[in-house]
Amino acid sequence: MEKLIKYLKWLFALAAAAVTLWSFTVPDAAGFQQPEFARVFFWHFPCPILGTILGLTTGWFSYKYLATHDIAWDVRAEAAVELTTIFWLVTMASGILFSELEWGTWWQWDPRQTSFLLVLLIYFAYFALRGSIGDETRKASHSAAYYLAALGPTLFLIYVFPRLHQIAESSLHPTQSIMQGQIKGEYAYIILATLALASILSAWLYRLRVKAGLLLLEEPSYGNLETNRSDTAHPPVVRPIRVPDESRE
Amino acid sequence: MNSIWAEIGAVVRKEALTEMRARNGIATSALFALVTVVAIALATFNRTIDKDMASGLLWVAILFAAVITLPRVMVTEEEQGTADLLRMLARPEAVYWGKCIFNGCQIMAASFILSFLFFGFTHVGLESPGLFALSVFGGSMGLAGSATMCGALVARAANRAMLAGAIAVPLLLPLVALGVSGMRVAIGPIEADFVYDAGVRAVIGLDCYGIATLAIGVLIFPFAWKS
Repeated sequence: MEKLIKYLKWLFALAAAAVTLWSFTVPDAAGFQQPEFARVFFWHFPCPILGTILGLTTGWFSYKYLATHDIAWDVRAEAAVELTTIFWLVTMASGILFSELEWGTWWQWDPRQTSFLLVLLIYFAYFALRGSIGDETRKASHSAAYYLAALGPTLFLIYVFPRLHQIAESSLHPTQSIMQGQIKGEYAYIILATLALASILSAWLYRLRVKAGLLLLEEPSYGNLETNRSDTAHPPVVRPIRVPDESRE
Repeated sequence: MNSIWAEIGAVVRKEALTEMRARNGIATSALFALVTVVAIALATFNRTIDKDMASGLLWVAILFAAVITLPRVMVTEEEQGTADLLRMLARPEAVYWGKCIFNGCQIMAASFILSFLFFGFTHVGLESPGLFALSVFGGSMGLAGSATMCGALVARAANRAMLAGAIAVPLLLPLVALGVSGMRVAIGPIEADFVYDAGVRAVIGLDCYGIATLAIGVLIFPFAWKS
C-alpha cells in the first residue's frame, strides 16, 4: 500500500509538471494588456471554486458538530476551513498580481477585490475566535456557530455583492466569463486540469490535517494542572497569590 | 411553564430596568455619537461633504457605535455572574429575542441621535426621510442580530472586548454596504426616478439582510448560549 501511495505521489508530481508546461505552450490570450501574463488566470480561476466547495463543506461539518457534539467533526471543520483560507489567499494573491499586470496597480479598491478582502477578514475573525477560547468543547461549538452565522455574509460577498447592478458597473473585474463562454478551447482544458490537480492536492492535505488533528485529541490531558492561556479567570474566582513572609527575613 | 412571549417580555424588561439603573449603554452610545460627529465636523471644517462621503461616514459611525455598545448585553451577564440564572429561567430563543429587541431599540435610538447631530453639524441635507428611516430600521435589525450573536460567542473568551468588534465587524460590512447605498439616495439630491428606485432596492435588500441575520441568529444562538 505504501509503495502504491509513493507511486501516486510521483504520478501527481509528473501531472503537475505536465500541466504547468502545457500552460506555457498554449498561445497567449487575446484582449489583455500583457497577454503572456494572462496565465495567472489558470490558478486564479480554480482556487475560488475549490474555496467555495471547501467553505460549504466546512458549513456542513460545523452543522454536524452542533448536531452531534462529536469533536471529530470540529477537527474536520478546522482542517477544511484552513484549506479554504489557503485557497482564498491564493485567489487574492493571484488577483493582486493580475491587477498590477493588467490594470497597472496592485490594489485599487475594486468592489470585487474589496469584497474578497472582507471574506478574508471573516475567516481571520474565525481563527481569532478559536484562538481566544481555551475550553475545547466551547471552542468547537462557538466556532461552529460563528462559521454558520458567517456563511451567509461570505456567500453574499462572493456571489451576490459583486453582481449587484451598481457595483458591477463600477468594477473592472469580469463577472460573466463562464456564462458568456469566454473560456474555451485549450484554456478551458488547462483550467479543468488545474482544478483537478488542486482538488487532489487539497483532498490529500485535508486527509493529513484531519489525521494529525485526531491524533492530537488522543494526547493525554492534565486537566486543571495545565495552564490555559486563552481563558481568563471568571470574575468571581479569586486566585491565591504568594505573599512574602517578612518574619523569616 | 411560561409562554415564550412572556419570557421575551421579561428579558426585555430586565434589560430596560438594568439600563435605566446603570445607564451604561445609552450614555456610552450618546457620548460616542457626539464625539464622532464632532470629530467629523472638525475634520471637515470649512468644507462641504458630498453625499457619497456623508452616507459612508454616517454608516461607519453607526457601525462602530453598535459594535462598542451592543455586545455588552451578553458580556455583562457573564461578568456579573447572572448568565447561569438566565439560562435556568428562560429559553435560549427568548433570551436571544429579548436581547435583540432591546439592542435593536438601543441602536435605533442611537442611530437617530447620531444622524440628527450629523446632519446638524455638517449641514448635509436629507431629501427622503422615509428612505432614511427604513435604512436605519433595517440596519438596526441586522446590527442587533449580529452583535447579540457575537456578544454571546465572545462572552467567556479572553480579550472579549476587542474580540467582539473583531468578529462582528466583518459580518456587518455587507450590511453597511447596502446601508450606504440606501442612505446615499436618501441624502439626495435625487436626480431621476431610477436613482430613487436604486435606493429603494438597496433599502429593501438591507431590510431583508436584517431579517435573515435575525433568522439565522435565532437558530444558532442556542448552541453558543448553552455550551
